[in-house]
Amino acid sequence: MALTKTEWIELEHKAAQLRQLTLDTCNWAGSAHMGGALSSADFLTLLYHKYLNFDPQHYDDPDRDRCIVSKGHIGVILAALYAQLGLVDKEDLKTFNLTGSSLGMHLDSNKVKGLEVSTGSLGHGSALALGDALAARVLGRPHKTWLLLGDGECDEGSVWEAAMATSHYKATDLITVVDRNHAMIDGLTEDVMALEPFADKWRAFGFDVLEVDGHHMKKLSQAMEQAMAASEKPVCIILDTVKGEGISFMAGDYKWHYGAMDSDKYARATEDLKEYEAKRVQRAEQEG
Amino acid sequence: MGGMNYTAVESTKMATAEIFGKTLVELGEKDPRVVALTADLAKSTKIGDFQKRFPERFFNMGIAEQNLFGVAAGMAKGGLIPFASTFSVFASMRATDQLHTDICYQNVNVKIIGTHGGTSFGQAGSTHHAIEDIAMVRSLVNLKVIVPADGYETANAIRAAYETEGPVYIRINRGFDQTVYTGEHYGFQLGKGVLMTEGDDVTIIANGSCVFQAIQAARVLEYDYGIHARVINLHTIKPIDREIILQAVEDTRRIITVEDHTVLGGLGTAVGEVILDSGHACAFRKLGLNDCFSAIGFHEDLMHINGIDTENIVKAAVHMMQHAQVVEMESGGRVVKAVRFEGRDLEAEIDWTDEV
Amino acid sequence: MGKRITQDDLYAARIFFNSALPLLRVVIESRRELSSAFRGKSFVFQVSALYPRAPGGKMATHFVVENGRFTVKVDAVHPSPDIELEFSDLHKFILFFSGRGMPLPRMRGVLKNAATFASLLRALLLMASLLQASDAPKKLQDQVLLVKLYFYLLPNGISQLNKAGHQKIHQWALQSPDRAYAFAVTGYPALNSYLRVKEGNSKAGRGEYPRCKPFLTLRFDSPRHALDILMSKADMIDYISKQYLTVEGAPEFAALIGEFLFTVGDYAKGLYLDWKTE
Repeated sequence: MALTKTEWIELEHKAAQLRQLTLDTCNWAGSAHMGGALSSADFLTLLYHKYLNFDPQHYDDPDRDRCIVSKGHIGVILAALYAQLGLVDKEDLKTFNLTGSSLGMHLDSNKVKGLEVSTGSLGHGSALALGDALAARVLGRPHKTWLLLGDGECDEGSVWEAAMATSHYKATDLITVVDRNHAMIDGLTEDVMALEPFADKWRAFGFDVLEVDGHHMKKLSQAMEQAMAASEKPVCIILDTVKGEGISFMAGDYKWHYGAMDSDKYARATEDLKEYEAKRVQRAEQEG
Repeated sequence: MGGMNYTAVESTKMATAEIFGKTLVELGEKDPRVVALTADLAKSTKIGDFQKRFPERFFNMGIAEQNLFGVAAGMAKGGLIPFASTFSVFASMRATDQLHTDICYQNVNVKIIGTHGGTSFGQAGSTHHAIEDIAMVRSLVNLKVIVPADGYETANAIRAAYETEGPVYIRINRGFDQTVYTGEHYGFQLGKGVLMTEGDDVTIIANGSCVFQAIQAARVLEYDYGIHARVINLHTIKPIDREIILQAVEDTRRIITVEDHTVLGGLGTAVGEVILDSGHACAFRKLGLNDCFSAIGFHEDLMHINGIDTENIVKAAVHMMQHAQVVEMESGGRVVKAVRFEGRDLEAEIDWTDEV
Repeated sequence: MGKRITQDDLYAARIFFNSALPLLRVVIESRRELSSAFRGKSFVFQVSALYPRAPGGKMATHFVVENGRFTVKVDAVHPSPDIELEFSDLHKFILFFSGRGMPLPRMRGVLKNAATFASLLRALLLMASLLQASDAPKKLQDQVLLVKLYFYLLPNGISQLNKAGHQKIHQWALQSPDRAYAFAVTGYPALNSYLRVKEGNSKAGRGEYPRCKPFLTLRFDSPRHALDILMSKADMIDYISKQYLTVEGAPEFAALIGEFLFTVGDYAKGLYLDWKTE
C-alpha cells in the first residue's frame, strides 16, 4: 500500500491540478475561501485518488467509503475536486457562486452528485460522520468514513459531543482528520480562541492521535494507512498545514480565509502554483 | 388513609401514553432499518421499550442534543430510519441548527419525537415547557409537523411518519392525556384534520391535549346554551388541511383555535394564515399563551390558567356568539354571508342546590 | 346543659342533616319490603335537634310523604310533623347518628302512627347498620346499596362542608375552575354520582355528569373493591396498580378529592370527637 515514487509524483501532479482548478474557480467567481481550501488540498488528493473506496461512476454504491467534509466553506476546492473526478461539469465551475448555479460557496449535497453531505454551519460533520459509521454497523455493511474538520471549527461544542460519542461507541471505522492550519476568520486560532494543547484534547476524548505534516504526501499517506488499520481506539490525524499553502501572498495569512481575486493576483498566483508544483515534485523525486 | 400521595415512580406506572414506545417496537420488528436515539431521556420519552427489545439498534447520545440530531441525520444518510426522541423544548431549540441544516436542508428520513410538549411537564417550569416549539419547527422547510391528540393518534402519527419519506416532527405530551378516540381505526391521514363533533354555530380548532378540552367544551355549549359547536382536531399543522378550515369558515363564520403553545406562530397562526389567504371574513380568536411564560404547576391547572381548558373555550365561544353574528346581506344582486358584531345576552344560570 | 357546640359539631350536624338523613329515601326505595310498607300513605316525618342559635331554635330535615312517595326537605323545619324524632341537643343527635351512643330522642306521633313509625325505624336501622358497619356486607345486594349510599353521601358532604365554609374545602373550591369529580362502578350505572365545583360554588349530583366528561372519574371495577377503599380496608395505590380502581383524568388530582372524602367520613363516624379529646 505504501506510496511508490511514481505514485507520489503522480499525486503531486494531481494535487497541483486541483490547486490550479481551485484558483481558476476563485478567479471566475471573483472571490472564494482560498486559505482553508489550499491547506486541505494534499489530504483531499491523497484520499480521493488513493485511499477512498469511491467510484465516481457508482457514487451511490451503498458500500462505498464516505468522506464528510465538515469544513463546508471549502466548497471551492470540493467543486474543483468533483470536477476532477468527473462528477461536476468543468464548465459549471465557471458559474460558481453565481445566481442560479448548482454550486454555491457551501455545496448542497442535493445538487452535487456524490457529495455526501451539505455542510457550512460548522461543527456538524462530526455527528453526521458518526451517524454514517453507526449506520454501517447496524446494517452490517462496513466501510470507512473519513471526517475532515477545520481547526477553528473545533471551538464548536458539537465537535466534542461527537468526539465523546465516537470513542464511546468505539467507531474505529470513522477516521477523524483535522486540518490544523492555525488560522480562522478573525486571526490565528491561538489568538482568537486557543486550541492548544490540541492533540491532548483529542487523546483525552479517547482518540489515538497522529500528528503529521499535511503537505508531505509520503508522511501523510503513512499516517492515513496507520489510521485505517486501527481497531482499538478511533484515530484523529492532525494535519500540520499552512493556510493558503502554495501561493506566496496567501500562505500563512489568515486574511486569506476568504478573499477577492483580480487578474494581477490571478497571474501571480498561477506563477506561484507552478513554482510550488516544481518544488514538490523535486522533493518527491529526492525522497521517494 | 394511607398512600394517597403519588410518587414519580407510581405515576410512571400509571402513564397511559406508552403507545409511542410500543409502536416504535412494532416498527422495529417490521423493519431492521428502524433505529432509536435519545439524549439521556430513554425512560422519560418511553423510547426505552425499543432499547430493551433492540439494544443494538438503540443509541443514547448522552446529554448532547446537537449530537443526537447530527448522528440521526448521518444515520439516515447511511440508510437507516432513525427516530430521535427528547423533550420538545430541547428538540425544537437546543439543536435547531442541526435540525435545520443536517435534517431539513438535506431532507433526510429522520423522525423527531418531541415529548413533554406544551406545558404538559407543568411542574418542571419554563425551562421544560415547550410553548414555542411549533412556531420554531413549523418554519423549517421539508419538515412535517404533527401534534396528536391522544395515545391512539400518537400510534397513527408514528406509523404515518415511518411511511412518509423525509423529516417529521411529532409533539406528544407527558403521558396523562385523556383519550378522545376509542381505537386507532378512525381514518387518520397525515395532513387531514378530523371532524370530532358536528356543529354550525362556531368552530373550535384544536390539537394535542386541547382536543379533549374542545370536545368537552362543545358538550357544555350544547348542554348549557344550546350552541352547536364544531370541533376539528387539526393534528397535522404542516402540511395544513386548508379544506377543512375553509369549510368551517363557510359554515360557521366563527373560528376559535386552541393550543397548548404561544399564540405567536403555532396552530392559531397557521389557521389564521389559511383564512386570511382565502379572503373570507370570519370572527377569529386564538386561545393559548399570550406572549408570556406559563406558571408552574399541574398540567390541568396550567391549562385553566392559560385559558385553554373546557371552561375557557366555552367562555370564548359564548363571547363570540354574543358579539359576532352571521347575517345574510345582499351584494351585487346575490345574497352573501357576513359577520356582524353586536351584543347578545347569553348567561347560563346554574342551580347550585345539592341533589338529595 | 351540654357541652359547648363547636364548629366541628356544626359540620357534623350539617352532614347528618343534609347529606346522610336524606339517604333514608334511597334506602326505602331500594327495598321493596320497605317501600311497600308506605304504599298509599301520606305523612310528614322529621328528625330534629334543638339548637338555640338556629332559626326557630332547632335544626331539622323532614320528609314529606305523599301516597308513599318521599320528598326530602333539608335545612327546613316543619312546624307540625306527624312523626318527629327530636334530640334535645346537637351532641345527642350526633352521637346517635354516628353510632357512638344511644341517647334517645323525644318521639312525637309514634303511638298515633305506630305501623308507619315501625317501618321508618326498620329503614333507619338498615341504613345505620350499613353505614356504621366496619366490614363490608356479604350480600352483593347490600354491597351495591352501601356503595350507593357512600357515593351519594360523600360528594354531598364535601359540597355541604364547602357551603358551610369548611376552611380547607372552601379554599379549594374558591380556587377551583369549573370541574366535576365523578364516582362510578363499572357495570352499575345507577350508582354514579358526581361533585361539580366552580369558584367557591359546589353541587353534588346523582347519575352521570351531564355537561361533559368529568374532570376526574374514580372508577371501581366492582362494588366490593369500591367498599374496600371507601371503608379504608385497602390502599388506593395498590388498587390502582391492580386495576381495581382506575383514575380517569390526571391522577394527581385524585389525592385531594380522596382526602376530602375521608374528611366527610370522619365527621360521619364522629371521629372528630376523638381529635378534640386528644
